[in-house]
Amino acid sequence: MTNLPMHLTTDEIELWAQGLLPAARTMHLADCSLCRVEAGRERKVILELVQLPRFAPAAGFADRVMAQVRIPTPSGDFTA
Amino acid sequence: MAWAKQGHDAAFRELVRRYERPVFSLLYRMVRDRALAEDLAQETFIKVLNGIKSYRPEFKFSSWIFKIANNAAIDHLRRKSLDTLSLDGSPTAQTPEQMHATALQLGDRAESPLQQVENRELGTAIEHAIARLRPEYRSCIMLRHVEGYSYEEIAETLDLPLGTVKTYIHRARNELRGYLEDRMDETGPRAAP
Repeated sequence: MTNLPMHLTTDEIELWAQGLLPAARTMHLADCSLCRVEAGRERKVILELVQLPRFAPAAGFADRVMAQVRIPTPSGDFTA
Repeated sequence: MAWAKQGHDAAFRELVRRYERPVFSLLYRMVRDRALAEDLAQETFIKVLNGIKSYRPEFKFSSWIFKIANNAAIDHLRRKSLDTLSLDGSPTAQTPEQMHATALQLGDRAESPLQQVENRELGTAIEHAIARLRPEYRSCIMLRHVEGYSYEEIAETLDLPLGTVKTYIHRARNELRGYLEDRMDETGPRAAP
């Protein structure tokens, strides 16, 4: 696939999956079933990845961190 | 950031509040153990906040904190791979008794409440697939698709050449596709989560 210059590159497929591929290159997908299949598979994985949730640490995390942090004062001393 | 550099407790707390989820999520997916991820996240924030005066504002603060978090995870994973014990006992054991005495005890197989949470959070097909990636691939793919970093930002954050970052991400996505498609073949599309 990559030896044919008109096929989409991996970077272009990623741009397409994000809706950022220029229209001139997007049109290639209408004519090329190879790229269409490849792009569809890639988009599926990217969609799964971007929908991954962010997890939170247990409650009180900030307090546990702050208990061990030395707070510098503008004079350069530390308050804790 | 300027306020934090001058040493304001409230500014430090705000930095923790803002970055605790992204940092913890990266670490949790790297080590797949809640308690350990929290220890590493705590270590990361302490290092960052105690060293805030060395922060160089020409770099993104988030890149700096992710760099420290990723290094903590990679160091831990390296140490862990060196410490891996055989289920059959120490390789230096000479007798069956020594083998038995040094064998890893699996104990009760019932899940603790924390393990139940971990299984719920990291139990989806995509999370399992991510867990099978090399750690270097895992951090690149998380920064790219969960944090929305550009390839250039990832290269700067992880101290890797740009070409390496691109290769890691493309290979990682390729492997993820393979794992997910194999799973679909095994379970059928209706059974996939």
